[in-house]
Amino acid sequence: MALTLIVLLPFVGALLPGLMIRAGRNGCALATGAVTLLAFVLLMSQAPAVFAGEVVHARWEWLPAIGLDANFFLDGLGFLFAGLILGIGLLIITYARFYLSRNDPMGQFYTYLLLFQGAMVGIVLCDNILLLLIFWELTSLSSFLLIGYWKHLPEGRQGARMALAVTGMGGLAMIAGMLILGEIAGSYDLSTILQEGEAIRASQWYVPALILILLGCFTKSAQFPFHFWLPHAMAAPTPVSAYLHSATMVKAGIFLMARLWPVLAGTDWWFYIVATTGLFTMVMAAWIALFKDDLKGLLAFSTVSHLALITFLFGLGTPIAAVAGVFHIINHASFKAALFMTAGIIDHETGTRDIKKLGGLMVLMPITMTIATLAALSMAGVPLLNGFLTKEMMLHEALHTEWAGVPWLLGAAAVVGAIFSVAYSFRYIAHVFLGPKRDDYPHHPHDPPFGMYLPPLILIVPVVLIGLFPAAVAGPLVAVAADAVTGGNLPDYHLAIWHGFNLTLVSSLAALALGAFLLWRHRQANAVRLSVPRPEAKRIFETLVDGAAAGARLFTDGLHNGSLRRYLAVMIGACILAGATAFLNASHAPGGRELTHVPIITLLAWAVLIGACVTIVIFHRQRLLTLVIVGVVGMLVSLGFVYLSAPDLALTQISVEVVTVILLLLALNFLPKQTPRDSGTGRRLRDGLLAGLGGLGVGGIIYAVMTRDFTTISDFHLAQSKPGGGGTNVVNVILVDFRGFDTFGEIIVLGIAALAIYALLDGALNGPAVKRLRSWVPDQERARDRHPMMLVVATRVMLPLSLMVGLFIFLRGHNEPGGGFIAGLVVAIAFLMQYMASGFGWAERRMKIDYHLLIGWGVLAAGFTGVGAWIAGRPFLTSDFAHVHLPVFGDFELATAMAFDVGVFLTVVGSVMVALANLSRLARVTEGPISDDPMDVDPQRRGPGTGMPDAAHTGKAEG
Amino acid sequence: MTLLAEILVSVLIVAAGFFGLVGSYGLAKLPDLMTRLHAPTKASTLGIGGILIASMIWALMSGHGFSSHELLITLFIFLTAPITANFLAKSHLHRRIERRESLPAPEDGASWATFEAPEATHRDEPSSIAAARLRGEQE
Repeated sequence: MALTLIVLLPFVGALLPGLMIRAGRNGCALATGAVTLLAFVLLMSQAPAVFAGEVVHARWEWLPAIGLDANFFLDGLGFLFAGLILGIGLLIITYARFYLSRNDPMGQFYTYLLLFQGAMVGIVLCDNILLLLIFWELTSLSSFLLIGYWKHLPEGRQGARMALAVTGMGGLAMIAGMLILGEIAGSYDLSTILQEGEAIRASQWYVPALILILLGCFTKSAQFPFHFWLPHAMAAPTPVSAYLHSATMVKAGIFLMARLWPVLAGTDWWFYIVATTGLFTMVMAAWIALFKDDLKGLLAFSTVSHLALITFLFGLGTPIAAVAGVFHIINHASFKAALFMTAGIIDHETGTRDIKKLGGLMVLMPITMTIATLAALSMAGVPLLNGFLTKEMMLHEALHTEWAGVPWLLGAAAVVGAIFSVAYSFRYIAHVFLGPKRDDYPHHPHDPPFGMYLPPLILIVPVVLIGLFPAAVAGPLVAVAADAVTGGNLPDYHLAIWHGFNLTLVSSLAALALGAFLLWRHRQANAVRLSVPRPEAKRIFETLVDGAAAGARLFTDGLHNGSLRRYLAVMIGACILAGATAFLNASHAPGGRELTHVPIITLLAWAVLIGACVTIVIFHRQRLLTLVIVGVVGMLVSLGFVYLSAPDLALTQISVEVVTVILLLLALNFLPKQTPRDSGTGRRLRDGLLAGLGGLGVGGIIYAVMTRDFTTISDFHLAQSKPGGGGTNVVNVILVDFRGFDTFGEIIVLGIAALAIYALLDGALNGPAVKRLRSWVPDQERARDRHPMMLVVATRVMLPLSLMVGLFIFLRGHNEPGGGFIAGLVVAIAFLMQYMASGFGWAERRMKIDYHLLIGWGVLAAGFTGVGAWIAGRPFLTSDFAHVHLPVFGDFELATAMAFDVGVFLTVVGSVMVALANLSRLARVTEGPISDDPMDVDPQRRGPGTGMPDAAHTGKAEG
Repeated sequence: MTLLAEILVSVLIVAAGFFGLVGSYGLAKLPDLMTRLHAPTKASTLGIGGILIASMIWALMSGHGFSSHELLITLFIFLTAPITANFLAKSHLHRRIERRESLPAPEDGASWATFEAPEATHRDEPSSIAAARLRGEQE
């Protein structure tokens, strides 16, 4: 339980900063810190069990069907990492409070930080590799937000994008690798997989799984050739860099290598891929770091180099090297976080991070200088500091391992790496703090406030203490963590400063001396560096990304060229093909049903329908005419419904037809009235053929269906409508009861469609299109009398009548033709007519209803009705009805479906009106001021020179 | 049903049929839209009205009780038919711009509503203020 809580706390806590920022920056930081502290305390409460060698478990079934469970477990390794993440997180939160300026949105920062923290803790504590993948992607996403926190900086945005692209790509590879791993082990539970080491290594799928998982680890931990994203992520605020690149994000890859070490390590493949990559990256990054003039750039490459060191140690595949790797994780986290923070302090106080502009800060910033020097010396591997211990262990392992039969290769490379490492660490001290005091710093440097140097100061304590008393201070933690990494095969080792005078000590001391020499000859070394070709990783990355984007665009544009005609042709063609295949491979027999006699009236309607369709085909370029004929077709269809005794459908069809025609007319206002001829004869022949075949096919199917006897679900509906749904109008009972859930979904879709119209047209109204609209000249001459008196008067008279009809249709809907949908349309039409008659602006001023709200209320009303069934212990949307007796009105039937229908009604009215409102807003941009008068020509207020009496005057005279 | 009622219903139906025929004939025969517009209005008001009233009387007399449907239909037709005709005429005027010259000017010096703005409306002021201003000028 505590474990789940530790993981959940940062996620839940991520809500706090945004709220607490109103209580000021201190309140915000305190709230964030409290969340992390609580998680940290919870973690520490598990410490006794972990140090006693227990593994703490917490299990929650989530999606057992696909093997995804929210299982967590805490062993030594998880404890170490969770401790680093939360502990350093706490320091970072303190540091960030003082680092961020007043202009930076602090609430956002802490929210991202907590999200990231939660994802990281999730990675290190989860016991299910599918869950791990989820957290893994979450770290990619949240680190994207953190790195790009300064949205105004292009470097920040590019760095964030690059980090996301590289780590996200690696994450994709890892998903595949993890799935393979899970399949081999037969379980997605990490604790089970860890027991299956031998089976996994023996499997033929081992190598693909290994490579895919390592792709994920290497991208995350910035190993060659994916190291380039990390330096670019330095555009982030320093607290982010300190957090992401000392203890968390980049350590995730390392963590996974450590976690899967018992399963994957120990093979040649593992050794040659991981150890080689690690060592190469270590040397290369250390060399680059030496020449970085940006403080954070230097630290970034040193981070890559140190991560590579840990990778190398794990890659060796021996338990003792793994112990060294675990130990270095602790050491690196402490001194690197401290170094990043001092870099941030220097940047903050001097106004620059450029080493060339710095120097002589020793006198000005003594506290910072002490902290930075200690941390940098530890990074260099100077004795009595913790960095020395692990550097010794690493050199020892490298010197005693042979690579492809060459015994000295690893050792030599490791020493070279160590020399560079010493050189850049010393450079951080020498070129920043030593030397003469300068007078051209951008700011006046001095030591920062206490809160800002406290976190690095705290981090320096373990650096020194572990350096002095390694076994006493770090021993137990290293032991439990390494025990978890090695899967219980903890080797015999002891952490000590003095191992006797041996080859390792000699090479370590030589590295120190040579490193110092290299720094002394920095200028010459730089000349050497400049003389060799240096591939610019960022440019290569961008070329690759541009290439991929161009390829994707080519592919997408090839398939989707934006021509609706093409999409339709493909879709209909596919349907015809599928239909034809089925048709040709089946037997055909005429239906057994007798054909009915065709009454003359049906024949007439049919002929008109065909005539209308043919007319549309002929005149489809004249859009207004087409619209009129479409209206004719709709009218005939609704007549057909009446003829076939489907009054509900007929009513719906008529109202939908009216609304559609009005909305289309509004849209057509801004469109050309003629469709241009833009396809050749060949294409039109093709389309004609497709349409003909499609029509024939559909006609054939309908004929085949109607000439056969068949049973449908209708019989059930007819039988159950009254006893089950409490209504005699089967159509309505189906809508609000039998298929209520469908209707619920449909009204939501309707609402979303209306909101999409709003969003699209709002974009047009606020975008560049509005300029074109303003200067738009109507393509037809406008009537001056746009709101004619007759129409105005008639619609006013009709309004109460139509509303009454709407109410009537709504109320009787459950038992007779009608219902919420039709009623909604009728009421919407009643409103539409007012808008049409007097203009939108005029009507809108008088309608105080927010139609967006109406949609929301409608969906909510329907939803609550459905939820109401839960109270009665029934499934969602179960309806109930009762007969009520009122003294005057007599017997009433009340059904819960009525409340549901109210929801449908409100949504329909809201959606239609939102669509109308937004189409008319377009028109209003192009037109003049909103008239105060309902009609343009009003006999009651004739202008000058008319003989008509003025309403105001007569009023006065009579009064 | 009484003979009187039967006679009444018959007369109404025949009259309605006559007007329907006249309306249809006029629609085909008359020369241009403005004159042609008159024909179907006769058919829709007198023709359909007659049939509806006949139907109502028949229902009442033959024991089906009073039927309000016909009354409502009549009401709605009386409401919509003139508006439809008005709109047809307006758009006809509007679309034939060359006819504008040949139209007689309205008697009181005003102009045809579809061609001229009824009164000047300034972009910056609501038209009620404009109207008030005009009124003020008038006084």
